[in-house]
Amino acid sequence: MDLIDNLALGFSTALTFANLAYAFAGVLIGTLIGVLPGIGPIATLAMLLPMTYSLEPTSALIMLAGIYYGAQYGGSTTAILVNLPGESSSVVTCIDGYQMARRGRAGAALATAALGSFFAGTVGTLILAALALPMVELAFKFGPAEYFSLMVLGLIGAVVLASGSLVKAIAMIVLGLLLGLVGTDVNSGVARFNFDVPELADGIGFVSVAMGVFGFAEIIANLEHKGQRQVFTDKVGKLLPNRKEFMDAWPAVLRGTALGSVLGVLPGGGALLAAFAAYTVEKKVTRNPDPPFGQGNIRGVAAPESANNAGAQTSFIPMLTLGIPPNAVMALMVGAMTIHNIQPGPQVMTSNPSLFWGLIASMWIGNLMLVVLNLPLIGIWVQLLKVPYRLLYPAILVFCCIGVYSINNNSFDVLMTAAFGALGYLFYKLRCEPAPLILGFILGPMMEENLRRAMLLSRGDPTVFFTRPLSLTLLLMAAALVVIVALPQISRTREEAFHEVD
Amino acid sequence: MQIRDAKDFWSGVMFAGFGVFFVVFARQYDMGTAARMGPAFFPTMLGGLLLLLGAVVAIRGLTAQTKDGRVDRFHFKPLAFVLGAVVAFGLLLRPGGLLVSLAALVMISSFGSDEFRLRDVLLLTVFLAVLVMIVFIYGLGMTVPVLPVFLRD
Repeated sequence: MDLIDNLALGFSTALTFANLAYAFAGVLIGTLIGVLPGIGPIATLAMLLPMTYSLEPTSALIMLAGIYYGAQYGGSTTAILVNLPGESSSVVTCIDGYQMARRGRAGAALATAALGSFFAGTVGTLILAALALPMVELAFKFGPAEYFSLMVLGLIGAVVLASGSLVKAIAMIVLGLLLGLVGTDVNSGVARFNFDVPELADGIGFVSVAMGVFGFAEIIANLEHKGQRQVFTDKVGKLLPNRKEFMDAWPAVLRGTALGSVLGVLPGGGALLAAFAAYTVEKKVTRNPDPPFGQGNIRGVAAPESANNAGAQTSFIPMLTLGIPPNAVMALMVGAMTIHNIQPGPQVMTSNPSLFWGLIASMWIGNLMLVVLNLPLIGIWVQLLKVPYRLLYPAILVFCCIGVYSINNNSFDVLMTAAFGALGYLFYKLRCEPAPLILGFILGPMMEENLRRAMLLSRGDPTVFFTRPLSLTLLLMAAALVVIVALPQISRTREEAFHEVD
Repeated sequence: MQIRDAKDFWSGVMFAGFGVFFVVFARQYDMGTAARMGPAFFPTMLGGLLLLLGAVVAIRGLTAQTKDGRVDRFHFKPLAFVLGAVVAFGLLLRPGGLLVSLAALVMISSFGSDEFRLRDVLLLTVFLAVLVMIVFIYGLGMTVPVLPVFLRD
């Protein structure tokens, strides 16, 4: 069977000593940074990206994937122990997880999160492996018009499912697209918007944008809200859930996994949406919850944690097979691939099978490491939460700055990152979510390229996007999404869903 | 007219500003035709769209019914010290070498916190300098000047 052969190839790549070591390092460092409150997976990935530049592409991606779920899991640990979500997708974990911690069941909550995540990660990886081939075959039917429409759908999907104002999110995407266009235009060779700065001829560094807008802006924002951290360090309690907790948790894990796997593939989906949806579903399906949700019900930890990990896994599907990142984290992965001269898209699987399947296999290994690593090491993460922020952030800044510099051995990139830090802080103050910006930034050049090609092929006739059936379908889906969300009753539910936890 | 939701209003102004910026600066490049788009085509399109979206957001900021429309206070202290430290690092790295610029980064950025303690900051600087030397210089073999210009051979 093809799938078995492919997975065998994947495991033979992922199980080399070096790649195991990189996966391990990724998971470890990812958790380490992810545990720090206020630093989510996007910021963590942006900060650690430069570390992987010197590696060969397969190892680099394996390590980055490890960093991603490490960061995600680290965020849950913080959510449970400190009631501070390290990242948006563990916001819901805070609600019941922290209450469990207050009642001395932190250990059970952490173990449930870890085991649920592992189970969900395993399922997610299998789905990814199974869907990869058919998706790639579909992708080869795509022409430039279809790609353009797909990106429109992806971008619209990303904002529809994100929280906050719809128009502002679309504006952030467009701004991202425009920033992505800075630099030499591939078709004409003209350097655009570079203002005669030679460093801008290759465009704005993608790490500068990500690290500035997410990393630096978050650090500044964290310094504003100083202080009230309450760590439940001394009573993590027994790790194993008791019988009742276990019986409550496993159906929730199954539901969370199923929901997360589906939502992860959707544009704009992924971990955040999956966690929110899973929590809402648990509240709906559970009759007479004991204890009630919001007061430490283990389902409120098990379901969102499984869902966000399943979603994290399956959101790799559109990225790996179509080259279209469904969310900001995947946009960072695309950026990382491009830096290693791999153009993400359906051809990766055929031209670089060991990278493709190796990455998939390493995801499962990474998830396994996460369990093995986190349960015994919880004590260390707890200690880390005790380090005062005033000592942590200068250290984080040091690693960020050295990282940015090392990409091109260029101080200009460091200054650029500072500028985007200021812009990111402005976004934060104006409540403009930065995630759509990074998605647009990555897609900008791709979108322009496909638009140009499609228009060239149609001799300047813009109706090509509506006359090709596949392209039309994609655009209609995008339009339907906007209409649905704009409907008054839906938009109210959407607001509620996102504000329930505030 | 009164600004109801200042966050939205100023977001709109910001977006519109960026839109105008890109449209104006795209004018120096070739528009091309729809079939053969020049370098100015896509940016002009997007810039126009951004201007439009910005206008919508700003107008909604003027008319929206909201209780919580005020823009939170800007905390210029952490902003200035954190980003100032990063800029100092960038400017000092080539002439001053890694150790000098790292010390500047750690010390300047530490002023951004309300709980500045000199002893801790000095210890942290030394600790990070040693760590960075081990990890980046000896471990990863990064090529960056370590010492200031006048101390190099």
